[in-house]
Order: sequence, then structure tokens, then C-alpha cells
Amino acid sequence: MYGKTACQLVKEFASGDKGQLVSFNSDLFQQVVAECSQHLLELQSLIRKMEEERLDIQTVRNADYYGALIHHLTLVRNKRCLMAYVYNRAEIIRNLLWKIGHVLPQEIEEKLSHAEGEYFKKHSAALKYYMSKVMVDLTVDMIPPKDPYIKVRVLDDIGDGILLSDDKTANFACHSMHLLKRTDAEQFISRGQMEELSG
Amino acid sequence: MASSSGAEEASLDDYASLIATTDVELLKRAWRNEKAAPEILRYEYRLISRVKEQIQLMEETVEEKSSVGNDPLSVSLYQMDLDRTQFLLRSYLRIRIQKIEKYMFHILKTEELWSRLSKDEKDFASACTSDLNQHLEVTVLSKLPENYQSVLKQSITSEEDDMVPEPQLDTFVLCRSKEYLTGIQLEDGPADDRSKLFEMEPGVLHFICYRSIKALVESGKIDLL
Repeated sequence: MYGKTACQLVKEFASGDKGQLVSFNSDLFQQVVAECSQHLLELQSLIRKMEEERLDIQTVRNADYYGALIHHLTLVRNKRCLMAYVYNRAEIIRNLLWKIGHVLPQEIEEKLSHAEGEYFKKHSAALKYYMSKVMVDLTVDMIPPKDPYIKVRVLDDIGDGILLSDDKTANFACHSMHLLKRTDAEQFISRGQMEELSG
Repeated sequence: MASSSGAEEASLDDYASLIATTDVELLKRAWRNEKAAPEILRYEYRLISRVKEQIQLMEETVEEKSSVGNDPLSVSLYQMDLDRTQFLLRSYLRIRIQKIEKYMFHILKTEELWSRLSKDEKDFASACTSDLNQHLEVTVLSKLPENYQSVLKQSITSEEDDMVPEPQLDTFVLCRSKEYLTGIQLEDGPADDRSKLFEMEPGVLHFICYRSIKALVESGKIDLL
């Protein structure tokens, strides 16, 4: 059936976990692209046949016309599916910027196609440029602050002599607990090196 | 932001009305509206530049006080105030940027929405759009037949742009009016209900279709929650 492969591609995306990426399915993607070229060939040959029979394409409604129309509609549908696939993946990639930051971990980067990796870098640069223009860092402060200080546990051996914003240094040995300024701790938390202890 | 010393001397009533019109309250309002509205609203240019100045002033105050070091409690209160204001500012700008990311093609081609962005946001939106355009071009469009290569149209036979994601204006929002409003035309519901005009008492909460009150939100008569 026409358009089935494209539908599979979109279904694969839609059935994935929300906000999670799976590897770019270039096999299926190429198949749909190949189908598109095939539809164009058949569309053109039908039009040519009508022209040879000296029929007016604008007005004649015969079997060939409707055949060509079906190929056109399938092409449009395939295009929409391909675009939806890439567009929605791009949306997830942009959201990764907000959730994880400007550097992607290896295991996520592997799931991107080459073009998607490029897109991520470019978009990250555009966002950084905007933030430097307005002089506000938008990637911190994701949740409204209750208290300027929070309790954290260190998950990774960050080491000692880390300079905090109040000009004191701290020793963040693994598993130690600290009461830190939220703004100081946030960068470590987003990198997964600390966790916030609630309550 | 802390109230000015003048407010502390004024009577309680004046104090309340003064508080309601401080820049931080105005920012909070702008932030709430932006957060609840499905489409991007006008950039509060003057307000944001005032708030930025005040944040800078606060930072200087905190620094000054903490270098003296004899009053850690008031320093931490100032710091908390500062943190909250900064959160509001960041969140306000962030929501706008995320809306731009989501609806960039629509914003770019709609004059009215485009004029609502600040200059930096416009630069960001242009960069953003050209990046995504290129990405789609390389990945999909360049591989399709010639007549099907537009980002905005499904094929060259489409008369208008039929591939642009737009914000859903029929979504429902919670809102509250500041004054008595009348003659609001409802734009949803059964057709014979639509001719009825709707009124709003000040301070009463309503759950209503965004499209119906769009103009009133833009003119600042209704606040979203």
C-alpha cells in the first residue's frame, strides 16, 4: 500500500518514550525517499500519456488523471511524514539543550544523524549568542527558588579547593554533604555531580 | 525587589497599591500572562530594562553589605529577594525563547507576531529559522522531487502555506479581569450561543477560550493566571 513505509517511520517515532530519542532510522528514511522518486516517475509517465493522447490535463477527468492524482497525494503524504519525523526530532534535540546543556553525553550523540548533530551545534550557538546579548543566562534557575541555600550530596569526587561565589573554598569529597548557595550548586547538579536533598 | 524607603512611611493602603505597581509585580504579571498565553505576547521592553537596572543595583547592595559583613541576616534576605527577581526575569525570557523555537516559521511570516519580539529575539528567531530550514533542507527536502521542496508548502499546487505549525488559540485559559467588562463575544460553543455577549465582573475567575479574550489580554485589561 502506498505511504505505508512513511507511516511506519512516524509510528516508530510516536511510540517512543516522550522526549526520548532513538537512533535515526536512516534505512526506513531512505526507503521512503526512494518511494517518493518512484511516485514522481509514475506521475510523470501518466501525465505524459495524457499529453500524448492530446487531452487537456486541467479539465479531463479520466483514469489516468486520477492515477496521477493518487501518486501526487502519496508524495505529499510521504513528504509530510518525513518532515514530521525530522521536525519532531529537531524539537526534542532543542529541548535537550534546556535539559542537559550545551554538551551532549556520548550515548545521546550516537543517536543523532550527522545533520542533527550539526543542527544541535548551530542552535546551541544561536542560543548562546542570544544569552550573551541580553546578558542573562537562561539555562540556570529552571525551578523557582525557595531558599538561597540548598542541601546537596556530592556524587562524584569533585575535589577540594573549589571556589564558591562568597570567596570561600570547599572540599567536595565524594558522598559528603553541604549547605550551598543554590546558584553555586546548580552547575554541579546539572552535570550530575551532586544531588539535591529534599526536606 | 525591596520596597523603597518612602513606602514604609506611607499608610498601609498606599503601601498596598504601591506594591501592586512595583516593577517586580508588573514583571510577575507579564510573566504569568506569557506563561499562560498560547501565543507570544508583546515584549515588555521598558519594564525589562528597568528590572535589569534594579537587579544590578541590588547586586551592588548585596555585595556592599556582605563586604561589610556585620549583618548576615539582611544580606541573605536581600539575596533571596534578588534570586526571586532573577528567576522571574530568566523564566520570562526563557518562555518567550521557547515559544519562538516552537513557532518560528509562523512568527517569522506573521507581521503582527514578528513586531512583538525584541531586537535580540528577532535575531535569535532569524538564526533559529535559517538553521532549522537548512537542517530540513539537507535531511529531507533536497531528496524530494523539485515541486515538493518548499518548507512552508506541501507542494507547489498548495495555494497557501499549509505546513506551518501554529499555536492553538482555541485552548482554554484561566483569567481574571481588573475592571467590569462587557460585550465579550464567545468564539466557541454551539453556534446559537455565540451571539450572546458575555460580561466579566472584576476579580472573578473565568475559564474561557483564549481566542475570545485575546484582544483584552493584549490591551492589558485581563490577566491570565
